Amino acid sequence: MSMPTRGRELLVCPHCDAVHRAVVLARHEVAACVACGHILARRHSLSVDQLLALTVTAALVFLIANSYPLMTIEVGGMQTEATVWGAALLMLHGWAAWPAAVLALSMFILPLLQIALLLWVLAFARFGRRAPGFDRVLVTLHRSRPWSMTEVFLLGALVAVVKLSSWVHVTPGIGIWALASLTILLTILSLVEPRFWWTLLQAHP
Amino acid sequence: MTPVRAIRVGLVACQTCGLVMQRGPVPSPPTSCARCGTRLRERRPRSAENTLAWLIAGVILYIPANVLAVMYVSGVGGGEESTIIGGVLSFWRAGSWDIALLIFTASIAVPATKFVALAMLLWTVHRGSSWARKQRTALYRLVEFIGYWSMLDVVVVALTAALLKFKALGTAEPRLGIVFFCGVVVTTMIAALSFDPRLIWDMGANDGH
Repeated sequence: MSMPTRGRELLVCPHCDAVHRAVVLARHEVAACVACGHILARRHSLSVDQLLALTVTAALVFLIANSYPLMTIEVGGMQTEATVWGAALLMLHGWAAWPAAVLALSMFILPLLQIALLLWVLAFARFGRRAPGFDRVLVTLHRSRPWSMTEVFLLGALVAVVKLSSWVHVTPGIGIWALASLTILLTILSLVEPRFWWTLLQAHP
Repeated sequence: MTPVRAIRVGLVACQTCGLVMQRGPVPSPPTSCARCGTRLRERRPRSAENTLAWLIAGVILYIPANVLAVMYVSGVGGGEESTIIGGVLSFWRAGSWDIALLIFTASIAVPATKFVALAMLLWTVHRGSSWARKQRTALYRLVEFIGYWSMLDVVVVALTAALLKFKALGTAEPRLGIVFFCGVVVTTMIAALSFDPRLIWDMGANDGH
């Protein structure tokens, strides 16, 4: 079997393969690769409890973002509204099902999966326990990250508000504020580096 | 000072969790990560070939994505199909130059930048060039970062179609172009994810390989 390296922890830059010795970072310090400048490590000051709190908040905000309309439009006394998943679902027939599926996956399913998996890992870590399926959960989190695009949906919704407002009366809904908060929360959570998650239980035995 | 490179000192880092392991001189080299179980590979397999294949697919899809209409809008005064560039122009003419610029950047400039950047990276890696490695790695990171913002127009079309449902007073429907456009975003994202930036550093004059 493979042998982990002994002694001081080594970091290998994933972008250029340069070997570095890990150093202890002060608050808000980042460690960048000396060869290519890639950020190798980032010191964040969030504890497991704080991360759990952020994830629970993200779950609630996700619920709100999907239960309330992003925006409502009005034409001649008639109203329609759009929710995050509603926008994808309405296109789910014929050839438009293809982009609709990509939208549903990147704007709804994957963010939901990420929140659920983070909750799972953190809830167990909170009590110093290793969550069942720990390895697989972290690998799934890592793989799904590039395809989770809440921020793009937020910007798209804002563009749609502006676009439609030139023809009809548009009212932004609670959903759009929830979506903005969700984007901020998921961005904070995604800044926590993979190494933190993998060493989670070494730090909290 | 140039740092030591893992591949030359028999080290390998897991691409999923970052654990650094020794490749030798153990009798049988490790095949999977000791921490997360991911299959260990020194480089992404057939990285350049895969990137090139997905890149070509993206370029091909980019043509119908721009030629075909992405949306059909009808109102009291009749219906009209619009392409991506048509949408940008109508915002521009209506005076919303900021939105026009935003859609132009996300839908036209970002995919084009990705094509040029990835093609340049593949070409220089193929030639084993040691020119501007740090800058080329930074360019790769830019390609990775800007990738998914092109989904913007797909979101706008989906939301507009979901909202404008007023029969004679106004309706909007997605058109075939949006399928190709979505294809461009997905294929170029896979192309960027297939590219192994360490290839930029693997060959060259001062690194006998």
